[in-house]
Amino acid sequence: MNETRSMWSHTRLLLRKDLLAEWRSKERLSPMVFFVLLVLLVYNFAFELGGAALWEIGPGVLWSSFVFASLFGLQRTFAAESTNDCLDALLVAPIDRGSLYLAKMVGNVLFLLGVQLLTLPLFGLFFNLNPGLYLLPLFIVFFLGAASVASVGTLFSAMTEHSRLREFLLPLLVLPVLIPALISCVAATSVVLAGGIPGRSAVLWPPDLTIHVGMLALFAMVFTTLAWMLFDFVIEE
Amino acid sequence: MLAAIIAAMVYAPTEQQMGDVQRIFYFHVSSALCAAMAYFLVFVGSVEYLRTRQDRWDRFAGVRAEVGVLFSAFVLFSGPLWARPIWGVFWRWEPRLATMLITLTIYVAYLMVRNYGDPGERTQRFAAVVGVVAFVSVPFVQYSIKLWSADQQLHPQKVELGPMMEQTKWLCYFAFACLFTLLLRLRLNQERQAARLQALSRSTT
Repeated sequence: MNETRSMWSHTRLLLRKDLLAEWRSKERLSPMVFFVLLVLLVYNFAFELGGAALWEIGPGVLWSSFVFASLFGLQRTFAAESTNDCLDALLVAPIDRGSLYLAKMVGNVLFLLGVQLLTLPLFGLFFNLNPGLYLLPLFIVFFLGAASVASVGTLFSAMTEHSRLREFLLPLLVLPVLIPALISCVAATSVVLAGGIPGRSAVLWPPDLTIHVGMLALFAMVFTTLAWMLFDFVIEE
Repeated sequence: MLAAIIAAMVYAPTEQQMGDVQRIFYFHVSSALCAAMAYFLVFVGSVEYLRTRQDRWDRFAGVRAEVGVLFSAFVLFSGPLWARPIWGVFWRWEPRLATMLITLTIYVAYLMVRNYGDPGERTQRFAAVVGVVAFVSVPFVQYSIKLWSADQQLHPQKVELGPMMEQTKWLCYFAFACLFTLLLRLRLNQERQAARLQALSRSTT
């Protein structure tokens, strides 16, 4: 009991440190948001967005830009710790390694969620999305999607931190494993966006949504647990 | 192996609807089974390595991943050859095909971690972690693709085989199992020699 409590308090402490550092520097959030904006621009000129494209390719555009932006963010997960050998200090400190993973993972979820929420209005603007209450389930999808990306991504970014080919290796590892989650994210998003089709009566929770959201939740839970268990092996020196 | 080829080419009667292309089936299915077996063994090797930290388990997993990728690639190569005359196209984004392709990319990434990492204990550990994650992700890939796929399952679900075809099928399974073991042993021997050579050169310097 005591152990669990100290694990949580360590996690909170580490998370607070990362968030504070990010708040002062904004060195992860702003480049990621700007990157999503650029990807949306590129897609706009590649596909001529707007009109019916919203329902056909909109969800795919949204999630591919999120995933690519998240790869940048994930690469920075342990960057702050490798300068001045902070990671060694953290490993020597009497804290459970699992809480280090959880702190980094939750941090990544929050960053990605921040990026998603900041760029959703831009996406809506480019695609002429009708704002409305039907968009609410999107936040659940965003949260679970971010959790799925962060679960696998945090583990692999700890691995690739020391690799010569860091920039290459991280996407190569993360992307194939993430495909199932990505499929559910895109499917769930398109179910939600379909609520905005003119003339369609908007429902708050379309029945089709449940299976995709359930799948995402399962993915996030399984891989968070697995990564949490394996994290010890990755950072032991 | 030779007997399997002869059996598949000559002994087994020609399938009534599909004709001679059906003969690919014997090799296609056999190598798919070998690939699945290989991936399972990568998982076993990875877990054992993380538990015991013995080099031999690392080699065990690595060699099986290589052979698994080889057999998967053959499955994906022989599939389109059969699909072209039967489905009319080489490739459909059909559940089993897509699953096989994604699984293949995951294990190629696994091999990249092994080969591009600095040789040493750390890379072995990382590879083992990827080996475990990769295996856990396979059912997810399979299920999600099923949800996503616009094409229905196009693979023949239940194949009715005549007795001679049955015999050929089992002979092919056996032959591929032998080939699988043979490749593994060859590669494993080579890896062992390489490790010994390295140990030797380290001890002389």
